[in-house]
Parts: sequence; structure tokens; C-alpha cells
Amino acid sequence: MRSQRILLTDPTLRDGSHACSHQISVHQIRRYATAAEAAGVDYLEVGHGNGLGASSLQVGLSLVPEQEMLRAAKACLKATGLSVHVMPGFATAKREITNAMEIGVDLFRVGAHCTEADLTQCHISYVRNAGKEAWGVLMMTHMASKDVLLEESKKMESYGAQGIMLMDSAGAAVPDDIRQKIGLLADKLEVPVGFHAHNNLGLGVANSLAALEVGARILDGTARGFGAGAGNAPLELIVAAMRRLGYNCRADLYKVLDAGELAEEIFSENLPVSNSITIVSGLAGVFSGFAKPVQRAAKQMGVDPRDVFVELGKRKVVGGQEDLILEVANELAARQKQAGANQHP
Amino acid sequence: MSNRLKVAILGTGNIGTDLLIKVVRSRLLECRLFAGRNLASPGMLKANQLGVPVSAQSLQAIHDHRAELDLVFDATSAHDHLRHAPVLRELGLVAVDLTPAKVGKLCVPAVNLEACLEEPNVNMVSCGGQASIPIAFAIAQTNPQVEYIETISSIASRSAGPATRINLDEYLMTTEEGLQTFSRCPAVKAILNLNPAQPCVHMQTTVLAMLKEPNLPKTRMAVASVVKKIQRYVPGYQLILPPMIESNRLVVMVRVEGHGDYLPKYAGNLDIINCAAIAIAEAHAIKRGAA
Amino acid sequence: MKSRLEQVRSDTAAVLDGRTERLKPLAGTTIFISGGTGFLGTWLLELISALNAEHQFDIRVAIYSRSAPDFIRRHRHLGSCKAFRFLEGDIRFLTELPRETQYIIHAAALTDRRLFASNPTAVGEVNSLGTIRLLRAACLLEDLRNLLLVSSGLVYGPQSLAVERIKEESSNGFPCDNPNAIYSESKRFSEAFAASFVSETKVPLVIARPFAFVGPYQSLALPWAVTDFIRDTLAGRPIKIMGDGSTVRSLLYASDFAYWILAALACGQARHAYNIGSPEPVDLLSLAKMITQHFTPPPDILTRVGQSDHGTTRLVPCVEKARRELGVQLTVPLADAIQRTINWHRAPEIS
Repeated sequence: MRSQRILLTDPTLRDGSHACSHQISVHQIRRYATAAEAAGVDYLEVGHGNGLGASSLQVGLSLVPEQEMLRAAKACLKATGLSVHVMPGFATAKREITNAMEIGVDLFRVGAHCTEADLTQCHISYVRNAGKEAWGVLMMTHMASKDVLLEESKKMESYGAQGIMLMDSAGAAVPDDIRQKIGLLADKLEVPVGFHAHNNLGLGVANSLAALEVGARILDGTARGFGAGAGNAPLELIVAAMRRLGYNCRADLYKVLDAGELAEEIFSENLPVSNSITIVSGLAGVFSGFAKPVQRAAKQMGVDPRDVFVELGKRKVVGGQEDLILEVANELAARQKQAGANQHP
Repeated sequence: MSNRLKVAILGTGNIGTDLLIKVVRSRLLECRLFAGRNLASPGMLKANQLGVPVSAQSLQAIHDHRAELDLVFDATSAHDHLRHAPVLRELGLVAVDLTPAKVGKLCVPAVNLEACLEEPNVNMVSCGGQASIPIAFAIAQTNPQVEYIETISSIASRSAGPATRINLDEYLMTTEEGLQTFSRCPAVKAILNLNPAQPCVHMQTTVLAMLKEPNLPKTRMAVASVVKKIQRYVPGYQLILPPMIESNRLVVMVRVEGHGDYLPKYAGNLDIINCAAIAIAEAHAIKRGAA
Repeated sequence: MKSRLEQVRSDTAAVLDGRTERLKPLAGTTIFISGGTGFLGTWLLELISALNAEHQFDIRVAIYSRSAPDFIRRHRHLGSCKAFRFLEGDIRFLTELPRETQYIIHAAALTDRRLFASNPTAVGEVNSLGTIRLLRAACLLEDLRNLLLVSSGLVYGPQSLAVERIKEESSNGFPCDNPNAIYSESKRFSEAFAASFVSETKVPLVIARPFAFVGPYQSLALPWAVTDFIRDTLAGRPIKIMGDGSTVRSLLYASDFAYWILAALACGQARHAYNIGSPEPVDLLSLAKMITQHFTPPPDILTRVGQSDHGTTRLVPCVEKARRELGVQLTVPLADAIQRTINWHRAPEIS
């Protein structure tokens, strides 16, 4: 099994968008894309953190319009394919996907919350009919059982998805969850299965290795873990661990390490760190992309961001519901005020 | 009784059936026909229990009952409405279109009810459109320099049927078109989230805007007044976050709790579009001197 | 001698004794039971009425059945219960459920074996269409916490003697081009429809697959082995077994049956199926002996009264999963179950 080559997808310039409040510049894209091409990752994913069409007041406006981002990356890539993340509800087939195709995007990773795979039918079909590669992505996978994930993956497979990614978008999973879920999918699906980690509980690399152990053929990793929340599984650590364990990939370890150094240099101000907020976020099972907006709202309303995460977790919010952050912070502030008033009548 | 506006409902799915309950309750409307294709559908059985005449002949039944009708609600599909629209027009029946076909004038009762009364065919935009457009309109009316308006609706996953789920793009496009038409804002965006949480969440819509020198007090008044107007025909419409400035954006949030007629209360998204359709039909009834 | 009702009350008290914790999620909720006036339905109402009276469960029940008025007449103590609301209707035309419904037990089905032969099309129609209607209506509920689909142990198809105990994962194709298959096929279809429904709507749903039962309220008119045997014995007639009596079944006592169903409703895992039956195998000859020993002199047991050699079959569930996940157990062993059933039939209606 280990002779099977593992595909590496690198969403540094997409998930990292969350880490810097969507302020990735064209210059950063050019430099990192060049390094990723040299490193030999199979795909480089670029764009807004929530994918095509997601630059918005709700999730955050991108510094650079998405078409410019994609063009800048495309110009630096040859052997490495260009990938985008697509979420129905944000991106439409006729507008955003068509535009991305014209720019030369090679792979469309069409995602939905882990129980809502049927939302991707139209988009996956559209990409496949245009002759491009489409994968299905299930997000927030800690919120569904392995049987549900299998059922939802099979829906995407039937729409034409050529790969299935499970994302631990909240960084809430432990290796045993991943072994069970990826293991079942790897066993039952015809298309290759992959895993995308978040590091809120410090398990990004361990979870990624657990996925490989049970048959995952695709891994996501970002340079220095540049991604939402506590970041992703760092690409350089994944590649190093894979070498240690004897897994094959196209990437060159030294060049991947170089890309990591570059990321540290160009993204130095926003590299993700583990802190009490990201840990609580992981425990509460809240989408990692909420980290920055929660901190902003908590500050404005004068409440503890950890309480905001716990409350959001209780409400089982999903990616894209950033507007609830403000509502929750507002409510917590009102409750605090109420409690304060009761204490000092 | 006899001077009530006589209406027919085309389409006996969940939307059509919920609409039926609302028509039956209305003091200004009378349901003369509930038509679709499947006499055994739950909607048809319900109509039968309510003593409303039913038919499985769909559009043909409208033809056959033309003399008894003034207005037709179309709750089928965009594809079907494109076929129905010219026929209804020829028959001289007012068409209230709940599909995303957009044949007729976009109708949001809180904003352009009067102007819609002269139209042979009106389109009810989308659920998110009905919830957000009046707010966007109020913002645009009070702040001349609105650069960008965005609306995000979160609905309970279970309130979106298979047809909606397979074609979210149609919803986004329709809502954006509505936003642009009514706010005259050069740049708009619509986002839709489906929330699978259990118990099901109520529909929630946020309107965000970027504008130069916002006039917050005036905006608050305008929003409060339009919300009152909507509440007259959508009882479960609530302002949960009055206009405020956060991170240089203007934010307004509303929640729509459904009336729970045929559809569950969490399906505020379906309730609001049906309530809006009833509002325009009742306005027609009043114009014709009913009640 | 205790009256029939007193016997039932002591059965319900015994099965609930120390076992109410498992059912706690049901406290204070509204349950809708389709087909709530049959053997299972009656026992469910007995248990719920005891939970309300003795354990402050405050459960409200809506019972949907074609024979609701008849049931109220026959079982006044249940019919007059304030927490029970009886709705008369045919499941094929069900369009809506009471809005406040939080739990559903879908037990409405034609289960009379005689009907499988004389009117199999009705069996197919009621059982499959009824399930479709009920699930569609369930989808409109605001706060549905669990839906229990009462399927059947017969979905596993005919079993050979070699299958000691049937597990939930086993699946066996069987000839479906035979009118005799209609009941099992209608149950298999119901399960398949339910699975598609869950996939599309994410409605929480659990499947129960009951096997065979014995106990009070079970009509002796039904031509099943145990009911035949008891009826003939009570009438002083010999028990007739067509084959050599080596066919193996298992019988769960009524109070256990109802308790297990409630446990599956309260804590069954969504999307999972549970065998509901006794794991204690018994061959028909031993069963007959167990029955006749309660009579003096014991009536005769005649075997091989049939014409041809009857293929011996075995239908015994593995109930490890139910034990593990629902925390249920067999509280009434078969010998007791038989004795209690005979006592009940001998007892006066009221003391």
C-alpha cells in the first residue's frame, strides 16, 4: 500500500486567507506559488478562505479580487495544478466557476457541510461537463458519523466527483475518529479519499498520518500550517513524516522545507499559533475560520471570546454563518450586563 | 362571501398546500380550485378534507374553471411557470408567481405593492429576497451613497426541498436581481447557508452594506418603519439586530418565524414568500371592492 | 385468582421495576403511535399508562388507528386515560401528524397471516403506502426526536437450521415473485424507503425488527404456532403439529416486547436496526409440552399430522446489539411467559 503515491494538495493560499483576514497580496501569491511549484506539490489551492465567490462583508473581503489571485498563481505554475475551493451558496456555476475555468483552474474542490452533499450536484456536474477535474469536499466532518459521511460521499461520487476530501474544519477530531471515518470511506468508495486537518487540538499531523494509515491517498497541508484557527497540518512536517514512514509523493522534501521558510518570511505577521482561543474553538467544534471574526466581535462587545466559541458550538453553527458571531456576542454582552445589574442593585 | 377574490392554486406540493391554508383563512380570498397532477398527494388529500375543489388536470383545470376565477397562484416550478404564464395572461387571470421564473414584475409588498396591482403577472422573487429587500430598500432610501449591499440568509436544512437544493444558483441569481432592482445599488451579493442543526433553526437574514457617511438614526427609523409594514403581512418577521455599524459595515439582522400553517414554524423562508403572495392577492381583493 | 387486568398491571410493574431510567428521554413528551390498538399497541399503552401513574413520566400519546372506537370500548381503562388521544383514520390517507409530536412509533401494518393469503394486495398497499405517508408527514414536524419504524424479523428471509442466531447485518435474498412474500417484502420496502428518506431528510429514525411473541391481549384467532397450541389446549383439544416438531422459534413475552420497543424509541441510535425478540430457542414439540403441562390431564400432542415432510426452519434473533445499546434484557423466561399467558386466558375480565 505504501508504494501508492500520495497526492499532496497545498491550500496555503486559500486556507491561509482566513489567517490574515483575507489580506493575501499578489506579491505573496507569486512568491509562494513559485515555491510550491518548485516543491512539487500536486495542486496549489488559491483564493478566498471560503472559496470562489466568498469575498464578502459576511466572511471578509479579499484584498485582491479572486480572478487576479488566480491569474497571478496560474502564471507561476507548470507541473503543479491550480485548485479552487467552491461552496454552493457562495459561488455559482455560471459566474464564478466559468470565470475560474477561463483563467485555467485545473481542479475544483466542491464543498458542503458534511450532511449537505446534495447541494454540490449542480456544481460538480457543471465542472465535469466542462471536462475539468472535480472533487467533493465534506466539511466540519466531526459533526457526522462515519456512516453518514459514507452516504454523503457516495452522493458526491454519483455526481461525478473524482476524489473525496474530508475536512476537519474545526480541528476537533482525534486520530481514532479519522481512522474510523477515512478507513470506511477508503474501503467503500471507488475514488481516492483525502484528509484536510486543522491543528486546534495539536493533532493535525497525527490525524493526517492516521488517515494515511487507513488508506487515504490525498493529503492537504499548508506551509507552516498557514490556515484558519490554529492552522492546518504543516506541509513540511507531513512530507517529513511521510518520508520517515516510507510513503511516496511527488514533492521534494528540501524544496518543501524551503517553501516553509518562505511562508515564515512572507506571512510572518499572521502565522497561526495555538492559544487558549483556538483550543476552546476546537473543543467546541466551531469552524476554524471563525477565529478572527470572533476575536473582533468579542472585543467590540466586551465579552470573553472563549464564551463566544462555546455558545457558537452549542448552536452547531456551520461555515458561512459568520453573522451569528455578532448576534451571540451581543447576547452574551446583554447577559453580562444583566448579571452585573443583579449583583449591584 | 361572494365578493371575495376567487383564486386558484397551481401546484400541490408543500408550498401550494401551505398557501392553501392561508387562503382558506383569509377573509378576502376564496380558494375555488387546487390543481396539480397527483390526486393522491398529501396536499390534495388536505384540500379535499378542507372541502376545496381539487383537480389533477393542472393548467387545463384553470382553463375549465376560468369563469369562476380572478387570480392564480403558481407554486409549481420555474420551468412550468414559463409554460403557464402566457396561457394565464391570455385567459385574463392575474398570475402570482412563486417560482423563480421571473416572467413578471418583481413584487415585494412592503416596497412596491401599489405598483404591482396593475401587473398581469408578478413574481415573488425569493424567500431571502422577501426578507432582505425591504431592509436594503430602507437603507438605500436613507443613505444616498450606498456602494455595496450584501444579504445572507441561513435557513434550516430541512426547509429546503430537493429542487431548491439542487439549484442554489437560481436562488442566488434571483435574490441578487431583486436586491439590485429595488436598492439601485451598483454592487450586490447574496449568500445562502443551509443549517442542519436540530432542532431546526428559524430563518435568519442579515443585510450588510458599505456606505459613505451612513446616517444611522435615519436608517434606524426607516428600517423600523419598513419592519412594521412587513409585520402586517408576515406576523413572524422580527428585527433582531437594529442597524449598527460594526467594522465599518452597516449591519441589520432579521429573523422570520413561520406561522406553522401546513409547514413547520422553522420554515420561515417558505412562510414569508407565501405571506407576500397572499398580501398581493388581498390587495387585489380590496381594490375590487371585497370585504 | 387475579383478574386479567390485575395480571397485566403486575406484569407492567415488574418489567418497569428498576428499569425506568432508560426511558427517561420520553418523559414529558408527546408520542404518536400508528396502529396503536393492536397487540403491541395495547401493551405500549399499558406501559406508558404505568409510567405516567407510577413514575410521573407525563407522556402524552396520540393513537392513530382504524379501529380506535372499538378499542376504547374494549379497553376502558386505557380508552378513558386523559393522556391518550385516539384518532380514527386509515394510514393510507394520513396527511399530517399532531404538531406537538416528538416521538413516533410506526406500527400500523396488516400483520394477519390469513390476510397475506386472501388479500395480499391490501397487505402490500397498506404496509408500503402507510410507511410513505407517515414518513412524509413526519418530515413536517418541528421537534421530532426519534421515529421508530416497526419492521419485522421476516425481512431476513427464510433461514436454514444452520443459522443459530440472526444478526442485524445479515441479509438474505428470497423469492419475491410469490404472493406469500408480500408481507416480508412490504417490510423490506418500508425499510429501504426509510433509509432513502433518512438520506434525503436526515430525520432521526430507528428500525425495530420484531420476531415472535406471546402474552395477554394476543388474539388466539391468529394461526401462529403458539396461539394455535394455547387455543386448542384451552378448548381441551389435542395439539397438532404438522411436522415432527423440530422447527425452532423463540418467543418474547409481551411486557418485554413493549419495553424493548420503548427502549429502542428512547435510546436507539439513529439509522440503526435492532432485533426485538427472545434469544431463547424452543422447538415446537417442547413448546407444546410446555403448554400442556399446565393442564390435567395434559392433552395429547400429535406430530407429523401434515401430509409431506415439512422442511425444518429456525428463526431466532441475536439480540446482543439490543442488549448492548438499548440496555434491555429478557425478564420473563419462556416457561413463565407461557404460564402467565395461560393464566390470563383462564382469568376473569375483572375480579
